Amino acid sequence: MPNRAYPGALIVVEGTDGSGKSTQLYLLKRWLEIGGYRLHFTEWNSSPLVKSATRRGKQRRLLTPPTFSLLHAADFADRCERQIMPLLQGDYLVLADRYIYTAFARDGARGCPEKWLRNLYRFAPVPDITFYFRAPLDVAVHRILSGRPKLKYYEAGMDLGLSYDRPESFRLFQARIMDGYDKMVESDNFVVLDGTLPVNKLQKQMREIAASKIDLKRFAPRAAEAE
Amino acid sequence: MPDQEKERLQERERVATPTDHSEIVPGRLPAISEDESKHFYGEPLVGFDPHEITGTLIVIEGMDGSGRSTQISLLQEWLESEGFAVQTSGLRRSTLVGRDIDELLAKNAVTRLTLALMYCTDFFDQLEHRIVPALKSGTIVLADRYIFTLIARSVVRGINRDYLSGLYAMALRPHLTFWLNVRPETAFGREFRKAQAISYWEAGRDMSLSHDLYWSFIRYQTMIKREFEAFAKRHDFLELDGEAPVSTVNKLLRQRIAEQLGIRSTKYTPSSALAHLWR
Repeated sequence: MPNRAYPGALIVVEGTDGSGKSTQLYLLKRWLEIGGYRLHFTEWNSSPLVKSATRRGKQRRLLTPPTFSLLHAADFADRCERQIMPLLQGDYLVLADRYIYTAFARDGARGCPEKWLRNLYRFAPVPDITFYFRAPLDVAVHRILSGRPKLKYYEAGMDLGLSYDRPESFRLFQARIMDGYDKMVESDNFVVLDGTLPVNKLQKQMREIAASKIDLKRFAPRAAEAE
Repeated sequence: MPDQEKERLQERERVATPTDHSEIVPGRLPAISEDESKHFYGEPLVGFDPHEITGTLIVIEGMDGSGRSTQISLLQEWLESEGFAVQTSGLRRSTLVGRDIDELLAKNAVTRLTLALMYCTDFFDQLEHRIVPALKSGTIVLADRYIFTLIARSVVRGINRDYLSGLYAMALRPHLTFWLNVRPETAFGREFRKAQAISYWEAGRDMSLSHDLYWSFIRYQTMIKREFEAFAKRHDFLELDGEAPVSTVNKLLRQRIAEQLGIRSTKYTPSSALAHLWR
Protein backbone atom coordinates (compact mmCIF):
# COMPACT_ATOMS: atom_id res chain seq x y z
CA MET A 1 0.00 0.00 0.00
CA PRO A 2 2.80 2.53 0.41
CA ASN A 3 3.72 4.51 -2.70
CA ARG A 4 5.45 2.21 -5.12
CA ALA A 5 7.89 3.38 -7.69
CA TYR A 6 6.16 4.15 -10.97
CA PRO A 7 7.27 5.88 -14.15
CA GLY A 8 4.20 8.11 -14.72
CA ALA A 9 3.56 11.59 -13.35
CA LEU A 10 0.66 13.14 -11.46
CA ILE A 11 -0.50 16.75 -11.73
CA VAL A 12 -3.16 17.96 -9.31
CA VAL A 13 -5.19 21.16 -9.07
CA GLU A 14 -6.71 22.28 -5.78
CA GLY A 15 -8.52 25.36 -4.51
CA THR A 16 -11.91 26.47 -3.20
CA ASP A 17 -14.99 26.48 -5.39
CA GLY A 18 -14.80 29.39 -7.81
CA SER A 19 -11.01 29.66 -7.73
CA GLY A 20 -10.75 28.88 -11.44
CA LYS A 21 -8.89 25.60 -11.02
CA SER A 22 -11.10 23.43 -13.23
CA THR A 23 -10.91 25.85 -16.15
CA GLN A 24 -7.14 25.95 -15.86
CA LEU A 25 -6.75 22.18 -15.68
CA TYR A 26 -9.04 21.84 -18.68
CA LEU A 27 -6.83 24.21 -20.67
CA LEU A 28 -3.69 22.38 -19.61
CA LYS A 29 -5.32 19.12 -20.67
CA ARG A 30 -6.33 20.57 -24.06
CA TRP A 31 -2.77 21.80 -24.64
CA LEU A 32 -1.36 18.33 -23.95
CA GLU A 33 -4.14 16.51 -25.81
CA ILE A 34 -3.63 18.58 -28.94
CA GLY A 35 0.06 17.73 -28.72
CA GLY A 36 -0.89 14.04 -28.64
CA TYR A 37 0.46 13.38 -25.13
CA ARG A 38 -0.34 10.18 -23.25
CA LEU A 39 -2.62 11.36 -20.48
CA HIS A 40 -5.62 10.59 -18.35
CA PHE A 41 -7.94 13.05 -16.66
CA THR A 42 -9.69 12.22 -13.40
CA GLU A 43 -12.10 14.09 -11.15
CA TRP A 44 -12.92 13.96 -7.45
CA ASN A 45 -16.13 12.06 -6.75
CA SER A 46 -16.85 10.70 -10.18
CA SER A 47 -17.17 6.94 -9.88
CA PRO A 48 -20.55 5.19 -9.94
CA LEU A 49 -19.51 3.08 -6.96
CA VAL A 50 -20.84 5.33 -4.22
CA LYS A 51 -23.28 7.41 -6.26
CA SER A 52 -26.42 5.85 -4.82
CA ALA A 53 -25.08 5.95 -1.28
CA THR A 54 -24.04 9.59 -1.61
CA ARG A 55 -27.42 10.51 -3.07
CA ARG A 56 -29.26 8.64 -0.30
CA GLY A 57 -27.00 10.18 2.34
CA LYS A 58 -27.55 13.69 1.05
CA GLN A 59 -31.30 13.44 0.43
CA ARG A 60 -31.99 11.98 3.85
CA ARG A 61 -29.24 14.01 5.51
CA LEU A 62 -27.66 10.91 6.99
CA LEU A 63 -24.09 12.00 6.42
CA THR A 64 -21.97 12.90 9.43
CA PRO A 65 -18.39 14.20 9.26
CA PRO A 66 -16.82 10.72 9.48
CA THR A 67 -19.21 8.97 7.08
CA PHE A 68 -19.09 11.86 4.61
CA SER A 69 -15.33 11.54 4.66
CA LEU A 70 -15.25 7.72 4.48
CA LEU A 71 -17.66 7.56 1.56
CA HIS A 72 -15.46 9.89 -0.46
CA ALA A 73 -12.38 7.92 0.57
CA ALA A 74 -13.98 4.67 -0.61
CA ASP A 75 -14.78 6.33 -3.90
CA PHE A 76 -11.26 7.69 -4.23
CA ALA A 77 -9.72 4.32 -3.29
CA ASP A 78 -11.68 2.72 -6.11
CA ARG A 79 -10.44 5.31 -8.61
CA CYS A 80 -6.94 5.07 -7.22
CA GLU A 81 -6.71 1.29 -7.43
CA ARG A 82 -8.45 1.00 -10.81
CA GLN A 83 -7.23 4.07 -12.68
CA ILE A 84 -4.67 6.33 -11.09
CA MET A 85 -2.15 3.71 -9.91
CA PRO A 86 -2.35 1.45 -12.98
CA LEU A 87 -1.94 4.47 -15.28
CA LEU A 88 1.01 5.81 -13.32
CA GLN A 89 2.54 2.35 -13.46
CA GLY A 90 1.83 2.26 -17.18
CA ASP A 91 3.76 5.52 -17.65
CA TYR A 92 0.87 7.93 -18.15
CA LEU A 93 0.56 11.57 -17.23
CA VAL A 94 -2.41 11.77 -14.87
CA LEU A 95 -4.27 15.06 -14.36
CA ALA A 96 -6.51 15.26 -11.32
CA ASP A 97 -9.17 17.91 -10.72
CA ARG A 98 -9.08 17.92 -6.90
CA TYR A 99 -7.24 15.34 -4.91
CA ILE A 100 -6.80 14.26 -1.30
CA TYR A 101 -6.15 17.85 -0.19
CA THR A 102 -9.81 18.59 -0.91
CA ALA A 103 -10.68 16.01 1.72
CA PHE A 104 -8.12 17.36 4.16
CA ALA A 105 -9.44 20.93 3.81
CA ARG A 106 -13.17 20.17 3.61
CA ASP A 107 -13.45 17.29 6.09
CA GLY A 108 -11.06 19.11 8.39
CA ALA A 109 -13.44 22.10 8.26
CA ARG A 110 -16.20 19.68 9.30
CA GLY A 111 -14.21 18.70 12.38
CA CYS A 112 -12.56 15.41 11.41
CA PRO A 113 -9.20 15.10 13.20
CA GLU A 114 -6.26 15.81 10.92
CA LYS A 115 -4.35 12.73 12.06
CA TRP A 116 -7.29 10.51 11.18
CA LEU A 117 -7.69 12.13 7.75
CA ARG A 118 -3.99 11.88 6.92
CA ASN A 119 -4.04 8.19 7.78
CA LEU A 120 -7.23 7.58 5.80
CA TYR A 121 -5.59 8.71 2.56
CA ARG A 122 -2.16 7.23 3.18
CA PHE A 123 -2.49 4.96 0.16
CA ALA A 124 -2.64 7.86 -2.32
CA PRO A 125 0.41 8.51 -4.53
CA VAL A 126 2.06 11.88 -3.82
CA PRO A 127 1.56 14.32 -6.74
CA ASP A 128 4.53 15.58 -8.78
CA ILE A 129 2.92 19.03 -8.84
CA THR A 130 -0.01 20.38 -6.82
CA PHE A 131 -1.29 23.69 -8.18
CA TYR A 132 -3.23 25.61 -5.56
CA PHE A 133 -5.45 28.29 -7.05
CA ARG A 134 -5.96 31.00 -4.55
CA ALA A 135 -8.66 33.63 -4.98
CA PRO A 136 -9.87 36.05 -2.29
CA LEU A 137 -12.93 34.70 -0.51
CA ASP A 138 -15.24 37.42 -1.88
CA VAL A 139 -14.20 36.74 -5.46
CA ALA A 140 -14.63 32.97 -5.14
CA VAL A 141 -17.97 33.22 -3.33
CA HIS A 142 -19.29 35.75 -5.84
CA ARG A 143 -18.32 33.49 -8.78
CA ILE A 144 -20.27 30.61 -7.29
CA LEU A 145 -23.32 32.50 -6.04
CA SER A 146 -23.82 34.39 -9.28
CA GLY A 147 -23.74 31.22 -11.35
CA ARG A 148 -25.97 29.04 -9.19
CA PRO A 149 -29.67 29.47 -8.44
CA LYS A 150 -29.58 27.59 -5.13
CA LEU A 151 -26.85 26.13 -2.97
CA LYS A 152 -27.31 22.56 -1.84
CA TYR A 153 -27.40 21.62 1.85
CA TYR A 154 -24.01 19.92 2.18
CA GLU A 155 -22.39 22.14 -0.44
CA ALA A 156 -23.25 25.17 1.69
CA GLY A 157 -21.93 23.38 4.77
CA MET A 158 -25.35 23.62 6.42
CA ASP A 159 -24.55 20.45 8.42
CA LEU A 160 -22.00 22.46 10.39
CA GLY A 161 -24.68 24.73 11.80
CA LEU A 162 -22.68 27.90 11.11
CA SER A 163 -25.67 29.91 9.92
CA TYR A 164 -29.30 29.37 8.92
CA ASP A 165 -28.72 31.50 5.84
CA ARG A 166 -27.33 29.34 3.05
CA PRO A 167 -25.17 31.91 1.25
CA GLU A 168 -23.80 33.05 4.61
CA SER A 169 -23.16 29.46 5.71
CA PHE A 170 -21.42 28.80 2.37
CA ARG A 171 -19.21 31.82 2.92
CA LEU A 172 -18.19 30.76 6.42
CA PHE A 173 -17.60 27.18 5.27
CA GLN A 174 -15.44 28.30 2.34
CA ALA A 175 -13.41 30.54 4.67
CA ARG A 176 -12.63 27.53 6.86
CA ILE A 177 -11.69 25.45 3.81
CA MET A 178 -9.40 28.20 2.57
CA ASP A 179 -7.65 28.26 5.96
CA GLY A 180 -7.16 24.52 5.62
CA TYR A 181 -5.58 24.91 2.18
CA ASP A 182 -3.34 27.75 3.33
CA LYS A 183 -1.99 25.56 6.13
CA MET A 184 -0.94 22.89 3.62
CA VAL A 185 0.98 25.19 1.26
CA GLU A 186 4.32 24.44 2.88
CA SER A 187 3.82 20.97 4.29
CA ASP A 188 2.51 19.64 0.99
CA ASN A 189 4.59 21.69 -1.45
CA PHE A 190 1.73 23.52 -3.14
CA VAL A 191 2.52 25.75 -6.12
CA VAL A 192 0.37 28.78 -5.32
CA LEU A 193 -1.21 30.59 -8.28
CA ASP A 194 -3.23 33.80 -8.18
CA GLY A 195 -6.77 32.87 -9.25
CA THR A 196 -7.66 36.50 -10.04
CA LEU A 197 -5.22 36.78 -12.96
CA PRO A 198 -6.61 36.71 -16.53
CA VAL A 199 -7.24 33.16 -17.70
CA ASN A 200 -4.62 33.13 -20.47
CA LYS A 201 -1.89 34.59 -18.25
CA LEU A 202 -2.57 32.04 -15.57
CA GLN A 203 -2.49 29.25 -18.14
CA LYS A 204 0.88 30.45 -19.44
CA GLN A 205 2.29 30.24 -15.91
CA MET A 206 0.81 26.81 -15.39
CA ARG A 207 2.30 25.43 -18.61
CA GLU A 208 5.72 26.86 -17.83
CA ILE A 209 5.75 25.39 -14.33
CA ALA A 210 4.51 22.00 -15.56
CA ALA A 211 7.22 21.89 -18.24
CA SER A 212 9.92 22.88 -15.77
CA LYS A 213 8.99 20.32 -13.14
CA ILE A 214 8.07 17.36 -15.29
CA ASP A 215 9.86 15.97 -18.30
CA LEU A 216 6.75 16.25 -20.47
CA LYS A 217 8.51 14.99 -23.59
CA ARG A 218 8.42 11.51 -22.09
CA PHE A 219 4.67 11.49 -22.57
CA ALA A 220 4.78 12.85 -26.13
CA PRO A 221 3.89 10.68 -29.13
CA ARG A 222 6.60 8.38 -30.51
CA ALA A 223 7.02 10.38 -33.73
CA ALA A 224 8.02 13.46 -31.76
CA GLU A 225 10.57 11.47 -29.79
CA ALA A 226 12.24 10.32 -33.02
CA GLU A 227 12.91 13.87 -34.17
CA MET B 1 10.32 -6.34 32.87
CA PRO B 2 12.89 -7.67 30.35
CA ASP B 3 11.04 -10.99 30.47
CA GLN B 4 7.79 -9.31 29.60
CA GLU B 5 9.46 -7.53 26.74
CA LYS B 6 10.87 -10.81 25.47
CA GLU B 7 7.48 -12.45 25.70
CA ARG B 8 5.97 -9.62 23.76
CA LEU B 9 8.52 -9.96 21.00
CA GLN B 10 8.03 -13.71 20.82
CA GLU B 11 4.32 -13.24 20.57
CA ARG B 12 4.87 -10.76 17.77
CA GLU B 13 6.97 -13.29 15.87
CA ARG B 14 4.36 -15.96 16.27
CA VAL B 15 1.42 -13.98 14.99
CA ALA B 16 3.20 -12.15 12.21
CA THR B 17 1.52 -12.87 8.90
CA PRO B 18 3.41 -13.08 5.63
CA THR B 19 1.21 -10.45 4.06
CA ASP B 20 2.19 -7.63 6.36
CA HIS B 21 5.76 -6.57 6.85
CA SER B 22 5.03 -3.50 8.92
CA GLU B 23 6.62 -2.95 12.29
CA ILE B 24 3.27 -2.74 13.96
CA VAL B 25 2.52 -5.07 16.83
CA PRO B 26 -0.48 -7.22 15.93
CA GLY B 27 -3.66 -6.44 17.71
CA ARG B 28 -2.52 -3.05 18.87
CA LEU B 29 -4.66 -0.02 18.29
CA PRO B 30 -3.28 3.47 18.77
CA ALA B 31 -3.59 4.43 22.41
CA ILE B 32 -3.95 7.95 23.69
CA SER B 33 -3.26 8.56 27.35
CA GLU B 34 -5.94 11.20 27.86
CA ASP B 35 -9.45 10.74 29.13
CA GLU B 36 -10.66 9.68 25.66
CA SER B 37 -8.74 6.44 25.81
CA LYS B 38 -11.35 5.11 28.19
CA HIS B 39 -13.97 5.46 25.52
CA PHE B 40 -12.10 5.41 22.21
CA TYR B 41 -9.06 3.77 20.69
CA GLY B 42 -7.69 7.09 19.47
CA GLU B 43 -9.33 10.38 18.60
CA PRO B 44 -12.84 10.87 19.98
CA LEU B 45 -15.79 10.78 17.63
CA VAL B 46 -16.58 14.24 16.25
CA GLY B 47 -19.00 16.06 18.57
CA PHE B 48 -19.26 13.25 21.11
CA ASP B 49 -19.57 13.62 24.87
CA PRO B 50 -18.67 10.35 26.65
CA HIS B 51 -20.51 11.43 29.80
CA GLU B 52 -23.83 11.03 28.03
CA ILE B 53 -23.36 7.27 27.77
CA THR B 54 -25.64 5.43 30.18
CA GLY B 55 -26.10 2.18 28.26
CA THR B 56 -23.79 -0.79 27.82
CA LEU B 57 -22.04 -1.91 24.65
CA ILE B 58 -21.53 -5.66 24.49
CA VAL B 59 -19.69 -7.14 21.53
CA ILE B 60 -19.80 -10.79 20.47
CA GLU B 61 -16.99 -11.70 18.10
CA GLY B 62 -16.14 -15.00 16.47
CA MET B 63 -15.81 -16.57 13.04
CA ASP B 64 -18.67 -17.72 10.83
CA GLY B 65 -20.25 -20.72 12.53
CA SER B 66 -19.11 -19.81 16.04
CA GLY B 67 -22.67 -19.37 17.29
CA ARG B 68 -22.75 -15.59 17.60
CA SER B 69 -26.22 -14.97 16.20
CA THR B 70 -27.75 -17.79 18.26
CA GLN B 71 -26.29 -16.37 21.46
CA ILE B 72 -27.39 -12.84 20.61
CA SER B 73 -31.01 -13.94 20.06
CA LEU B 74 -30.99 -15.71 23.42
CA LEU B 75 -29.29 -12.84 25.25
CA GLN B 76 -31.76 -10.34 23.85
CA GLU B 77 -34.69 -12.41 25.13
CA TRP B 78 -33.08 -12.84 28.55
CA LEU B 79 -32.23 -9.16 28.92
CA GLU B 80 -35.68 -8.06 27.81
CA SER B 81 -37.26 -10.44 30.30
CA GLU B 82 -35.07 -8.78 32.95
CA GLY B 83 -36.50 -5.42 31.87
CA PHE B 84 -33.62 -4.00 29.84
CA ALA B 85 -34.04 -2.26 26.50
CA VAL B 86 -31.90 -4.01 23.90
CA GLN B 87 -30.74 -3.08 20.44
CA THR B 88 -28.59 -5.12 18.10
CA SER B 89 -26.09 -4.11 15.44
CA GLY B 90 -24.08 -6.05 12.93
CA LEU B 91 -22.14 -5.79 9.71
CA ARG B 92 -23.81 -4.36 6.59
CA ARG B 93 -26.89 -3.16 8.44
CA SER B 94 -26.46 0.59 7.91
CA THR B 95 -29.05 2.62 6.06
CA LEU B 96 -26.28 4.48 4.29
CA VAL B 97 -24.32 1.70 2.57
CA GLY B 98 -25.54 -1.69 3.83
CA ARG B 99 -27.26 -2.54 0.55
CA ASP B 100 -24.43 -1.15 -1.53
CA ILE B 101 -21.96 -3.52 0.12
CA ASP B 102 -24.29 -6.47 -0.51
CA GLU B 103 -24.30 -5.52 -4.18
CA LEU B 104 -20.55 -5.11 -4.35
CA LEU B 105 -20.05 -8.53 -2.76
CA ALA B 106 -22.53 -10.16 -5.11
CA LYS B 107 -20.84 -8.72 -8.16
CA ASN B 108 -17.38 -9.32 -6.74
CA ALA B 109 -16.33 -6.18 -8.58
CA VAL B 110 -14.50 -4.31 -5.89
CA THR B 111 -10.90 -3.96 -4.78
CA ARG B 112 -9.89 -4.86 -1.23
CA LEU B 113 -9.19 -1.30 -0.11
CA THR B 114 -12.48 0.07 -1.42
CA LEU B 115 -14.33 -2.77 0.27
CA ALA B 116 -12.52 -2.08 3.55
CA LEU B 117 -13.55 1.58 3.37
CA MET B 118 -17.16 0.72 2.52
CA TYR B 119 -17.29 -1.54 5.58
CA CYS B 120 -15.77 1.26 7.63
CA THR B 121 -18.47 3.66 6.37
CA ASP B 122 -21.11 1.07 7.27
CA PHE B 123 -19.60 0.76 10.75
CA PHE B 124 -19.51 4.49 11.50
CA ASP B 125 -23.00 5.08 10.11
CA GLN B 126 -24.34 2.51 12.56
CA LEU B 127 -22.14 3.79 15.37
CA GLU B 128 -23.40 7.36 15.00
CA HIS B 129 -27.01 6.73 14.08
CA ARG B 130 -27.84 3.61 16.07
CA ILE B 131 -25.26 2.59 18.65
CA VAL B 132 -24.41 5.96 20.22
CA PRO B 133 -28.05 7.20 20.41
CA ALA B 134 -29.07 3.87 21.97
CA LEU B 135 -26.27 4.05 24.52
CA LYS B 136 -27.26 7.61 25.38
CA SER B 137 -30.76 6.41 26.20
CA GLY B 138 -29.50 3.69 28.52
CA THR B 139 -30.07 0.83 26.09
CA ILE B 140 -27.94 -2.30 25.98
CA VAL B 141 -26.41 -2.73 22.55
CA LEU B 142 -25.53 -6.28 21.49
CA ALA B 143 -23.11 -6.04 18.59
CA ASP B 144 -22.85 -9.08 16.34
CA ARG B 145 -19.15 -8.51 15.38
CA TYR B 146 -17.27 -5.24 15.68
CA ILE B 147 -14.10 -3.58 14.42
CA PHE B 148 -12.01 -6.67 15.19
CA THR B 149 -13.57 -8.78 12.43
CA LEU B 150 -13.28 -5.86 10.02
CA ILE B 151 -9.62 -5.27 10.81
CA ALA B 152 -8.73 -8.98 10.74
CA ARG B 153 -10.37 -9.53 7.34
CA SER B 154 -8.41 -6.68 5.78
CA VAL B 155 -5.12 -7.55 7.47
CA VAL B 156 -5.15 -11.08 6.05
CA ARG B 157 -5.69 -9.49 2.64
CA GLY B 158 -2.50 -7.52 3.02
CA ILE B 159 -3.75 -4.11 4.10
CA ASN B 160 -1.46 -2.46 6.63
CA ARG B 161 -2.49 -3.05 10.25
CA ASP B 162 -1.52 0.40 11.38
CA TYR B 163 -3.62 1.93 8.62
CA LEU B 164 -6.67 -0.08 9.68
CA SER B 165 -6.22 0.73 13.35
CA GLY B 166 -6.10 4.39 12.39
CA LEU B 167 -9.40 4.09 10.48
CA TYR B 168 -11.15 2.74 13.56
CA ALA B 169 -9.46 5.07 16.04
CA MET B 170 -12.79 6.87 16.51
CA ALA B 171 -14.65 3.67 17.36
CA LEU B 172 -16.19 3.41 20.81
CA ARG B 173 -14.56 0.90 23.16
CA PRO B 174 -17.04 -1.83 24.14
CA HIS B 175 -17.78 -2.44 27.82
CA LEU B 176 -17.45 -6.20 27.22
CA THR B 177 -16.03 -8.10 24.26
CA PHE B 178 -16.74 -11.82 24.10
CA TRP B 179 -14.90 -14.07 21.69
CA LEU B 180 -16.59 -17.35 20.79
CA ASN B 181 -13.59 -19.41 19.80
CA VAL B 182 -14.12 -22.47 17.60
CA ARG B 183 -11.87 -24.57 15.40
CA PRO B 184 -12.28 -23.81 11.67
CA GLU B 185 -13.05 -27.50 11.10
CA THR B 186 -16.05 -27.29 13.45
CA ALA B 187 -17.14 -23.97 11.93
CA PHE B 188 -17.04 -25.53 8.46
CA GLY B 189 -19.49 -28.28 9.45
CA ARG B 190 -21.86 -25.82 11.12
CA GLU B 191 -21.81 -23.38 8.20
CA PHE B 192 -22.30 -26.14 5.68
CA ARG B 193 -25.32 -27.52 7.54
CA LYS B 194 -26.89 -24.06 7.61
CA ALA B 195 -27.02 -23.52 3.85
CA GLN B 196 -25.79 -26.80 2.36
CA ALA B 197 -23.03 -24.70 0.87
CA ILE B 198 -20.10 -22.44 1.76
CA SER B 199 -20.14 -18.93 0.36
CA TYR B 200 -17.37 -17.39 -1.73
CA TRP B 201 -16.43 -14.82 0.92
CA GLU B 202 -16.66 -17.13 3.94
CA ALA B 203 -14.12 -19.37 2.27
CA GLY B 204 -11.89 -16.42 1.38
CA ARG B 205 -11.92 -17.54 -2.21
CA ASP B 206 -10.82 -14.09 -3.42
CA MET B 207 -7.46 -14.83 -1.81
CA SER B 208 -6.59 -17.80 -4.04
CA LEU B 209 -5.49 -19.89 -1.05
CA SER B 210 -6.61 -23.20 -2.52
CA HIS B 211 -8.68 -24.47 -5.43
CA ASP B 212 -10.23 -26.79 -2.92
CA LEU B 213 -13.25 -25.22 -1.20
CA TYR B 214 -12.68 -27.00 2.10
CA TRP B 215 -9.01 -26.08 2.35
CA SER B 216 -9.64 -22.54 1.24
CA PHE B 217 -12.14 -22.17 4.09
CA ILE B 218 -9.81 -23.75 6.67
CA ARG B 219 -6.79 -21.70 5.65
CA TYR B 220 -8.72 -18.46 5.50
CA GLN B 221 -10.46 -18.94 8.84
CA THR B 222 -7.17 -20.02 10.45
CA MET B 223 -5.58 -16.76 9.33
CA ILE B 224 -8.50 -14.81 10.79
CA LYS B 225 -8.28 -16.81 14.02
CA ARG B 226 -4.60 -15.94 14.38
CA GLU B 227 -5.52 -12.24 14.21
CA PHE B 228 -8.15 -12.79 16.89
CA GLU B 229 -5.64 -14.49 19.17
CA ALA B 230 -3.51 -11.36 19.00
CA PHE B 231 -6.52 -9.08 19.63
CA ALA B 232 -7.72 -11.23 22.53
CA LYS B 233 -4.63 -10.48 24.60
CA ARG B 234 -4.46 -6.78 23.90
CA HIS B 235 -8.13 -5.95 24.17
CA ASP B 236 -9.25 -8.02 27.13
CA PHE B 237 -11.43 -10.37 25.14
CA LEU B 238 -13.47 -12.72 27.26
CA GLU B 239 -12.76 -15.96 25.44
CA LEU B 240 -15.39 -18.69 25.52
CA ASP B 241 -15.29 -22.18 24.08
CA GLY B 242 -17.66 -21.86 21.14
CA GLU B 243 -17.76 -25.64 20.78
CA ALA B 244 -19.44 -26.11 24.17
CA PRO B 245 -23.24 -26.65 24.21
CA VAL B 246 -25.32 -23.54 23.48
CA SER B 247 -26.80 -23.55 26.98
CA THR B 248 -23.35 -23.71 28.61
CA VAL B 249 -21.99 -20.81 26.53
CA ASN B 250 -25.15 -18.85 27.20
CA LYS B 251 -24.87 -19.36 30.96
CA LEU B 252 -21.30 -18.04 30.98
CA LEU B 253 -22.34 -15.02 28.92
CA ARG B 254 -25.26 -14.28 31.27
CA GLN B 255 -23.07 -14.52 34.35
CA ARG B 256 -20.52 -12.05 33.05
CA ILE B 257 -23.15 -9.67 31.69
CA ALA B 258 -25.13 -9.78 34.93
CA GLU B 259 -21.98 -8.82 36.80
CA GLN B 260 -21.42 -5.90 34.41
CA LEU B 261 -25.00 -4.69 34.81
CA GLY B 262 -25.07 -5.25 38.54
CA ILE B 263 -28.01 -7.64 38.53
CA ARG B 264 -28.16 -10.87 40.50
CA SER B 265 -30.55 -13.02 38.52
CA THR B 266 -29.06 -15.09 35.73
CA LYS B 267 -31.89 -17.65 35.50
CA TYR B 268 -33.20 -18.14 32.01
CA THR B 269 -35.08 -20.68 29.94
CA PRO B 270 -35.80 -19.73 26.34
CA SER B 271 -39.39 -19.16 25.27
CA SER B 272 -40.99 -21.61 22.86
CA ALA B 273 -40.07 -19.24 20.01
CA LEU B 274 -36.36 -19.75 20.70
CA ALA B 275 -36.44 -23.26 22.21
CA HIS B 276 -35.07 -24.73 18.99
CA LEU B 277 -31.78 -22.89 19.59
CA TRP B 278 -31.30 -24.52 22.98
CA ARG B 279 -29.62 -27.67 21.74
